[in-house]
Amino acid sequence: MQIKQIKEKVFSNQRLNREEGLWLLQNGSLLDLAEMAEHRRYFHNLAPKVTFVIDSNPNYTNICNIDCIFCAFYRHEGDADAYTYTVDEMIERFKKAEARGVRTVLLQGGVNPALPLEYYTEMIRRTRAEVPKIHPHFFSTSEIIGMANVSGLSVPAVLEKLKEAGLNSIPGGGAEVLSDKVKKKISSKKGTSEDWLSVMREAHKLGYKTTSTMMYGHLESDEDIVEHLDITRALQDEYHGFTAFIPWSFKPGNTPLEKIIHTYASSTRYLQMIAFARIYLDNFPHIQASWFSEGKKTGQMALHFGADDFGGTLEEENVHASANFVHTTTIKEMVDLIRDAGFTPVERDTLYHTYGEFAEGEYPASILNSERLHQSVDASIIMPTIPLVALGNG
Amino acid sequence: MLSSKELSFRDPGLMPIWNKVRNGIRLSKEDGLVLYSTHDLIGLGRMANEVSRAKSGDTVYFVLNQKFEPTNICVLSCKFCDFAVKKGSPEAYEQSIEEMLDILNPDIREVHITMGLHPDWEWQHYVDMVRRIKEAYPLIDVKAFTAVEIVFFAKKFKKTHEEVLSELKAVGLRTMPGGGAEVFSERVRKLIFNQKIGAKTWFEVHRKAHKLGIQSNVTMLYGHVETFEERIEHMIKLREVQDETGGFMTFIPLAFQPGDTGIKTKNNFTSAIDDLKTIAISRLMLDNIAHIKAYWVMLTAEVAAVALNFGADDMDGIVGHERIAHDAGATSPMQLAKEKIISIIHEAGKVPIERDVWYNPLHIYPAEGTSIVSKMPYLNSVPFYSNFEPELAEIKLSPLVPRVFGQFAKEGKVDAGPMSLMDYVASQDEFEMLDYGVAVSGKAYSVLLYSHHDWKHLSGKTIGLTAESSTSVELLRVLLEKKYGVTGVTFERLHLTSGQNDYTKFDAVLLIGDEALRRWKVGLASFLNVYDLAEEWYEWKKMPFVFAVWAVRNSIPAAHKEAIRNALEGSITRSKGHYDELGREHAKRLGLTREDLAMYLNAFTYRLGEQERSAMEEFLKEQAVLA
Repeated sequence: MQIKQIKEKVFSNQRLNREEGLWLLQNGSLLDLAEMAEHRRYFHNLAPKVTFVIDSNPNYTNICNIDCIFCAFYRHEGDADAYTYTVDEMIERFKKAEARGVRTVLLQGGVNPALPLEYYTEMIRRTRAEVPKIHPHFFSTSEIIGMANVSGLSVPAVLEKLKEAGLNSIPGGGAEVLSDKVKKKISSKKGTSEDWLSVMREAHKLGYKTTSTMMYGHLESDEDIVEHLDITRALQDEYHGFTAFIPWSFKPGNTPLEKIIHTYASSTRYLQMIAFARIYLDNFPHIQASWFSEGKKTGQMALHFGADDFGGTLEEENVHASANFVHTTTIKEMVDLIRDAGFTPVERDTLYHTYGEFAEGEYPASILNSERLHQSVDASIIMPTIPLVALGNG
Repeated sequence: MLSSKELSFRDPGLMPIWNKVRNGIRLSKEDGLVLYSTHDLIGLGRMANEVSRAKSGDTVYFVLNQKFEPTNICVLSCKFCDFAVKKGSPEAYEQSIEEMLDILNPDIREVHITMGLHPDWEWQHYVDMVRRIKEAYPLIDVKAFTAVEIVFFAKKFKKTHEEVLSELKAVGLRTMPGGGAEVFSERVRKLIFNQKIGAKTWFEVHRKAHKLGIQSNVTMLYGHVETFEERIEHMIKLREVQDETGGFMTFIPLAFQPGDTGIKTKNNFTSAIDDLKTIAISRLMLDNIAHIKAYWVMLTAEVAAVALNFGADDMDGIVGHERIAHDAGATSPMQLAKEKIISIIHEAGKVPIERDVWYNPLHIYPAEGTSIVSKMPYLNSVPFYSNFEPELAEIKLSPLVPRVFGQFAKEGKVDAGPMSLMDYVASQDEFEMLDYGVAVSGKAYSVLLYSHHDWKHLSGKTIGLTAESSTSVELLRVLLEKKYGVTGVTFERLHLTSGQNDYTKFDAVLLIGDEALRRWKVGLASFLNVYDLAEEWYEWKKMPFVFAVWAVRNSIPAAHKEAIRNALEGSITRSKGHYDELGREHAKRLGLTREDLAMYLNAFTYRLGEQERSAMEEFLKEQAVLA
């Protein structure tokens, strides 16, 4: 196989098969990948525009019975710092977020077996009723399987109930790497790849929109990555329910997996993943760059390697923070980062409906009527921080 | 022609620029501005990466270095610097020479010293600093003092710049860092660097240093108040001076860190896109500078890693202390472990080479599963590489002079290349020969003995030998002993970096490769006799002389061997008939015309046949019975 043949296929908008994908991932130079990824990117989205969402990622509980070795966030029932918030408490937080201009809340647990299905449906119903400007983007596949276990209902029945309550999109986290060999090692209690896929398939069938994610940089091989993308692409062919694909690298801080994997993957690897995903996932409209998980400068670079979305402002985030991996931004900075990378920033919601573009010097109105954001705009913007675990020997 | 690669671009405006670049035509200021304004970052990167590949192969250099800033007390108060303080300030510090020596260890190969302009320190203190480091660690080379410091010393100690520089050189100063260049624009200097020396003085000092054999680097501090135009003008000014002196080794763009400096920038750091563009554009504009450094302390490790595919071929080293950048808010890790640097370079698809202060390779660290091909950095090897496009990504190119190639091959680190005949003979068990090599029947123009005496009168004399090739040295010995019956000659190895050599102390000097070609027309010092060793052999034996043969390690995968052979065959075939084009880059450097190039390259045979094989045997027979 040769790079020339693969390029010809991509430039004539043909799909790559698994074998070609693996060859490309292992032999394609970074800039060959980028060139092909840009072709696909501008095929889907012709204009040099980049979307972002003003969102928040709170958690209603950190109690979890799955014990993934890559996670620094979870606690067990009875741990001193374990918590579960009531629906009232969460609605209060959403209201505050709404007042600050947040459009989307990505809400996830813990998988806490003490919570009944009604807890979740009430959370959705009240959010729709009491915080109408916020789009609920709630509950990962693991939590939905958890709800099925607690309620005795099937997964499709749970999804129906959630839909009735007002949910129409769910986050794509928890996929990690869709290879049972890898899953067994890093998240043995989280179920198989098929568990994640079947929840997604049922959701798409019911008209839900979801994202798809991949966490790499731990125990997976290149073959596993290609398998992950191949399975995802096949499911997308069925219902076109995925809005975007979001890869991120494993962050070792404070996790049991840290003992084996000391450092997180380099920016080069991240850009390879973004570009490769864009090339391979020819049926995905969006590839999301994560300034948050990879650093602002890496996020900016990703926009030239196939990504067309800059993710959320993440007004609140706890999972990466638990791994000592903290990046913060402001809406204003996010808009500037996109613009400085050479693109027009466009605000969107979870379903990729856009609200409007921002010309040079323009920013979303919300920064003007929000106390907290006012402060953060004035406060010095924090540079990307590299935790000391990145230094090689931990 | 620099590259035969056909590139296509999303931004069609890049095509005319690529056509210039690949044909070795220098870019104009307007071209530079087009490059800054393009949205096609990847297209820009691909051009820069091709240029970098033509110069450095797939190699990225790093050096184990220790940075010192022995004091932050400074008589200046530059607006952009929040490192310097006044004497008596609570943050003021002074590091003694003993404290500096305590920090050093024998693994370090380069020491970098810059500091505040101290109001009280004596001249002897600076001289001792360099001298004592060199005495305590003879393998450590000192890169020290920016032009700003040199000017300060000259004024304070009432010496000329030359005196300052040569006194420091005498105690061990090897190269100078490129700091203090900031942006070569009077407008910008007046705005924020008004206490620093201007471009004119900065270049004056570096010109003098180059004349004394002290090579140097050059920086550009960007991302503050300067315009894109001023950045391009900076590069062009530098390019002009480099045409004159050839003494700049490395260009280092420095991303400005506003920190507490009080200089307002839009965001508090440059955008990654601006960083990558600046690296790539400098690679394209600066056609006469060998290396571009991605200085990770200022760029962040994330951007520096990607910059290795955007034209940078140097990743700096393990930085011990970097107070200046960190006081202004850079948050890169204080020390990137060597393993981390190596893994970043591997992930970029490149080959890490640990270097000394002059970029001589010390160690090579190939990634698992790759096969390293040595790229002989000589003009006569251009036909091997000008179209060398292996179909496998695992085949990597690294520029290595024959001596280093031989050494790395012996260590099992490098797997193929045109091997000096003597090295091949010594490693026949591990390498097989391909039907390619460098042979010549008659003049080779680039293996020359410069002598005060004719052959017969070299008995008992001292000959300085190039450290680069054992084969030409053996050929010299064969000619002396067997052809001319000369004995009792003392041989002495020359320094790898020509600026470090005093040729006049020898009775004769053997130069090879580009070092010889550079002197083809101009001669060397007062040596009156010039002997072409290949011609001497040919006249004696009526046989070609084989300087090098392509050798491939037996143990690499068959697919790799095949890919190397195919790439080589393709390159030699496609190069034939284009010699005057292909060597243009080298010709500029060596002061040769297109006609010289064609004549020179046409003298060589690159495919080895029966005649060459028997000539090799004949030479080895003669060589085997030397005293």
